[in-house]
Amino acid sequence: MAEEEAEEQQRFSYQQRLRAAVHYTVAALCQEVASDKGMPFSKQSVAAVSEVTFRQCENFAKDLEMFARHARRSTINTEDVKLLARRSNSLLKYITEKSEEIAQFNTEQKAKKKKKLEEGNKTLEAAEVVESES
Amino acid sequence: MADGYSPNSEPTTRTLLRRVLDTADSRSPRRPRSIRAGTQRTLLETPSPRRRSSQRKSTARRHSHGTRSVSRLAHTQASRHLDEQTPRTLLKNILLTAPESSVLVPKSVVKPAPAPPVVQPPRRESSRGSLELQLPELEPTTSLAPGLLAHGRRKQRLRLSVFQQEVDQGLPLSQEPPETAGASSLTSSLNLTFATPVQPQSVKRPGLARRPPTRRAVDVGVLLQDLRDTSLAPSGNSLRTPVATVPTDTVLEDTQPFSQPLVGRSPSVHHSLPHPSHNETEDTEKAVDHWTQSSQPGLQNDKPHPWPAAPPEVTESMGSQGAVEAEESDVSSGDEDPSGRAASPAMASRTPSFLQAEQPPPFLEPTPRPGAAVVSSEPVLARRPPRPRAAGPRPRQDPHKTGLNHYAKLFSFYAKMPMEKAALEVVEKCLDKYFQHLCNDLEVFAAHAGRKTVRPEDLELLMRRQGLVTDQVSLHVLVERHLPLEYRQLLIPCAFSGNSVFPAQ
Repeated sequence: MAEEEAEEQQRFSYQQRLRAAVHYTVAALCQEVASDKGMPFSKQSVAAVSEVTFRQCENFAKDLEMFARHARRSTINTEDVKLLARRSNSLLKYITEKSEEIAQFNTEQKAKKKKKLEEGNKTLEAAEVVESES
Repeated sequence: MADGYSPNSEPTTRTLLRRVLDTADSRSPRRPRSIRAGTQRTLLETPSPRRRSSQRKSTARRHSHGTRSVSRLAHTQASRHLDEQTPRTLLKNILLTAPESSVLVPKSVVKPAPAPPVVQPPRRESSRGSLELQLPELEPTTSLAPGLLAHGRRKQRLRLSVFQQEVDQGLPLSQEPPETAGASSLTSSLNLTFATPVQPQSVKRPGLARRPPTRRAVDVGVLLQDLRDTSLAPSGNSLRTPVATVPTDTVLEDTQPFSQPLVGRSPSVHHSLPHPSHNETEDTEKAVDHWTQSSQPGLQNDKPHPWPAAPPEVTESMGSQGAVEAEESDVSSGDEDPSGRAASPAMASRTPSFLQAEQPPPFLEPTPRPGAAVVSSEPVLARRPPRPRAAGPRPRQDPHKTGLNHYAKLFSFYAKMPMEKAALEVVEKCLDKYFQHLCNDLEVFAAHAGRKTVRPEDLELLMRRQGLVTDQVSLHVLVERHLPLEYRQLLIPCAFSGNSVFPAQ
């Protein structure tokens, strides 16, 4: 029983730390927006936004897990994220664009790696050949 | 013994019957009669609290009391009587014999032992004519009732006379068979009970009439019309998009309620109703069958709950679930009578019509004919060709409304307040969007799992997102809470005999 309580407390403190981190980020963003639009944010509103963000993150996490399980996967995929974001059109567009970018980047990376590998192999082979020859 | 079963008190038919029924519980007619007869005889001889020590205390007690009254009768009769001593036979005996002896000469009742078989038949015949119950065993009856009535005849007579008067006056009487055992009164009461007509259960609330008949005809005609229209329109494509594309533009941001893609969707929704599409929907049928069947009763059950809370958007409330189920079932139950079964395959056809881009609506046209040849569809079919297509938007809008008309009416019914028509229209609009949204989600979920069919898992996921199914409350719990038994067994796998599990997983 005491262990459970200790666990709970640990979890709770962990949550609090996360909340604090989220709050910090949200405050930074709000600061940017405020300076952009020229209208300051009250502290309560910032706190409200950060709390809402935190709770939404929890929901998102649960949903993502559900989606992944629905597709019989054990890893959360970009597809799951897109499914999550489909409600908001602009967000969905943004995410799809980003995912395409990332995909491209990945393919490029792979291509580079392949080239490197090939070059490495070639040099190795050349070295071997040279060695064998000599 | 002081449990009210004092042997000295006049054992009325009621008490005797009670005793008999109590004893009958512990007995089964299967038991060897000899034992019973033997025990009964011993009880007859020594009715005393000693019997309590026997296995069944109460029954023994009652036996003793009962036997006291019985003891006046012939032993043979008792044994004979007891041989058939099931509650039914005993009750029959009481019913038969009690009336005869009471009203008639009481003295003859006192000597039931020697002459019951002789005396009874004539009396019985007199009453038998009026009796509608053709009971098989009338011979052994005798015994109990006369003996009883000998004691309680005074009371009974009074009751009987009054009763009989009432009967003669033709007052409707509920059957009080053994207690008010009157000779002819009883039989006549029996007659009465048999004769009283069952009052037809009228629909007290016309508002609850679920299917306004006019709607059907309009539906089919209009929907068939739209069927043609949609076959030409490029609609529906927006619905079949994969996740990446943005079909929700029109749904979410379009303020006009009946723009093209919406139109394309809902008519196909509704037109597929009375037209069971037999092509390539068999697996979807099976998949969706459970769903629709579960949703149909879910409609009836959940309506009161979710309705007041039915918001237009996907919210985390029972309303959404009920509304979902209500919508699916309503859409499918719209033409329930002619196409009761067609509803579920029609539901199935709906999803593939969304998901499968190549499923051409014209396919549905020939198939509707056999399906729609039921009842009211025929005159509508005749009407269909001459209707001009130029009346485009009008008939297109109708199916939206007619499908949700039912819901709007229910809404107004449960609102307990009069509603403006404009409000009802808004409600319909919101419901329309809500259901489209919901079905979109379902389609997307199915596609997410790499399927083209919407399966119950997709629905469970949807309900999870709605917050109806949580870690604490599983889908099965909700099914058990809200669905009637017949639908529950369709959803929750149940093991039946022969090692078969239904529904097959």
